[in-house]
Amino acid sequence: MRRVKIFSGTSHPLLTESICERLGTNPSKAELKKFSNGETSVNIGCSVREQDVFIVQSGSETVNDSIMELLIMISACKGGSANKITAVMPYFPYSKQSKKKSHRGAITARMIANLLTIAGVNHVITVDLHASQMQGFFSKPVDNLYAEPLIARWVKNNVQNWKEAVVVSKNPGGTKRVTSLADALKLNFALITTDRRRANYDALSSKFHSRRHSPAESVHGDEDPNPDTFVNRQDGDIPTFVDGQSIDATGVASLAYTGSSIGPPSIELSPEPPIAIGDLSISAEVPPPASTTSTEYNYHLPPHPEDDFDDEYTDDNAREVTYGRLVQGHIVDDDYPSVPASVKDEEEEAPCHMVNSINSITSSNDHALGGTVDVNETDDEEEPGVASLTQEKMITLVGHVRDRTVLLVDDMIDRPGSWIAAAEHCVKRAGANRVYCIATHGVFGGDCLEEMEACSYIDYIIVTNSFPIPVNKINCSRKLRILDISALLSEAIRRNHHGESISALFQHFD
Amino acid sequence: MATNSIKLLTGNSHPELARLVAERLGIELTKILVLQYSNQETSITIGESVRDEDVFILQSTAPGEINDGLMELLIMINACKTASARRITAVIPNFPYARQDKKDKSRAPISAKLIANMLQVAGCNHVITMDLHASQIQGFFNVPVDKLYAEPSMLRYIRENFDWKNAVIVSPDAGGAKRATAIADRLDLYFALIHKERSRPNEVSRMVLVGDVKDKIAILVDDMADTCGTLAKAADTLKAHGAKEVVAIVTHGILSGKAIEAINGSQLSRVVVTNTVPHAEKKAMCPKLHTIDIAPTLAEACRRTHNGESVSFLFSHAPT
Repeated sequence: MRRVKIFSGTSHPLLTESICERLGTNPSKAELKKFSNGETSVNIGCSVREQDVFIVQSGSETVNDSIMELLIMISACKGGSANKITAVMPYFPYSKQSKKKSHRGAITARMIANLLTIAGVNHVITVDLHASQMQGFFSKPVDNLYAEPLIARWVKNNVQNWKEAVVVSKNPGGTKRVTSLADALKLNFALITTDRRRANYDALSSKFHSRRHSPAESVHGDEDPNPDTFVNRQDGDIPTFVDGQSIDATGVASLAYTGSSIGPPSIELSPEPPIAIGDLSISAEVPPPASTTSTEYNYHLPPHPEDDFDDEYTDDNAREVTYGRLVQGHIVDDDYPSVPASVKDEEEEAPCHMVNSINSITSSNDHALGGTVDVNETDDEEEPGVASLTQEKMITLVGHVRDRTVLLVDDMIDRPGSWIAAAEHCVKRAGANRVYCIATHGVFGGDCLEEMEACSYIDYIIVTNSFPIPVNKINCSRKLRILDISALLSEAIRRNHHGESISALFQHFD
Repeated sequence: MATNSIKLLTGNSHPELARLVAERLGIELTKILVLQYSNQETSITIGESVRDEDVFILQSTAPGEINDGLMELLIMINACKTASARRITAVIPNFPYARQDKKDKSRAPISAKLIANMLQVAGCNHVITMDLHASQIQGFFNVPVDKLYAEPSMLRYIRENFDWKNAVIVSPDAGGAKRATAIADRLDLYFALIHKERSRPNEVSRMVLVGDVKDKIAILVDDMADTCGTLAKAADTLKAHGAKEVVAIVTHGILSGKAIEAINGSQLSRVVVTNTVPHAEKKAMCPKLHTIDIAPTLAEACRRTHNGESVSFLFSHAPT
């Protein structure tokens, strides 16, 4: 290609070489080193005046250094009068920090996007962004490529009996990504969800039975199925439910949510507003009959919310639900002793998402350092936290995987915990044959690859070479398969340079 | 309730200096949790509300982890901005990438300009720094930059610790001549200059001394001591020209690479640096290393900026 210069950062030179090989050119010369004080130094070794410049940089073990290097290279090329500068970032660093998860949290991914723009980038090419909404963070065009066709082709060619396989999402947040692969392969689909709030599902269902006999008593115990819903009750400086009547009224509201899932998941459903300490006289006037009837209505409904899929799906597979108890990241038997009381107390203190907003309004003490780390734990992401290890969680598989091959799919493999738990659940409880862990980005932080390698429930780990994986790690792993993504990137570069459409790259291979 | 008071935040780069500044200001450091994910991405959680507060973020640059420190700073600024801070001031005693401030070769990046842009994009409203390698860097910003001087603190140190009336101020290179003459003027001393012919960065070749240092204490003054090759060679040159004693006073003691070996093996009797850069470990390995505490200057600059008072007093006076 004429008037094109392709530069490689230090993070992934191998990928750049194979991209250049496919384009029939060589990586352009650039001297990248560090001064002895740790500052990054860039020296572009050839003229870039009026050239179309592509800079390939992925993440690495030293991700901040990689980013700085990329920014300085862009800046140097801009200063060298390049015509157009395209950053090719197969793995977009900080893409997981793409929303304001906690109080005062930074949206780091947006900041990285702004930094790239200010350094002088004109175009960005990336693969499988963690959230495709991140394209909106840029004021420059972004091509978000998909590795899915590549993965689908690999599955067709390499997975025995793939037509009988089931594509499984290991968290609800990634479901959309996963269903798209299931659609492409025309396979069945299942979903795994891990839930701390409903840790004691058997205790929950037994309570439902006991309530039939004594409705009044059961209503008082209603905080148990949702242990976190009214944590505020323990704090003295917030609206407190001191009166028996007010607990009745709001308690029924929370039960209605657990049982039927008809209304929106909000405690504003409460038929009576929460009553503060000072308003005892008002609370005495609350009429009890209404609450009793609604409680009885709920008894007819099954205890798990997954059943509200009934209206929409007639597929029998979707009705099958497999529960498991997850303690310290592993599936345990039902008779496994419960978590010690002290730990459980902490668990109940932790605010859940639903009441978090109430907490922030009502509690005057600032517990952000302790509290928000826990609240961070959203559905689609694992956050590092000591608490998550000690707590018992419930893991639920919705769908049928017995005697089938399971394809566990997500966008990146970073920490091993959720993968191992999901694989263990699929094999041990749901009776799956084999488990393939499939992701676009093999980030493998810490001992992730080693732990997954050691897990006997995982049979294969499939990632692309979008993120550099150290050679010694590759050699140590028997299960790891790496798909080459350079064809996709080189074609995107070629089409971009010639001004052709890249839509064809989103199509599946036949 | 927003009190619009000073909130001082710091990352992992120089907690010691932040503690000293907070002590001078009589405030507590704002609680903040800085950690790195297993994939080495930096994550910040700010533990107190900063809504409508005057936020100061102190971050120096520790050698070897400059890029990590910089990302930490940028993410902290961004977190405060999204948390509705009234004003965010970055206190960067040692401005990183300050030496990459010009296009000295074809296609060389002006990284200092890039850093300035990055700080502004992250959401910085004000910058306080100290002894910039080149004052032009101030012009790279579109927000106000307060450039403090370590010179008053250095002057006091010279007056208190040396037989300064019998000294000569020496600049180890032509670029630093202005800085050295300023000190010489203030002390009413003679001035000398070493001209070096440099072939590559961090390497020193031939040295020529201009001025008389015979039987005097030669005080080398510079803004930055990195690998210390220049200082060691300059000391040799000065001794060869008959200097009685050679000492060096430097603002930013980065002291990377083989700096400690170079100082220990050199003819320098003392190397004085300010605490803009953390160097506690190096001090244990090098008895010649002495420290000037500039926390009072930084604290006073923060206080004056917060109260809307003039900062120019600090250009000529060091608070005690």
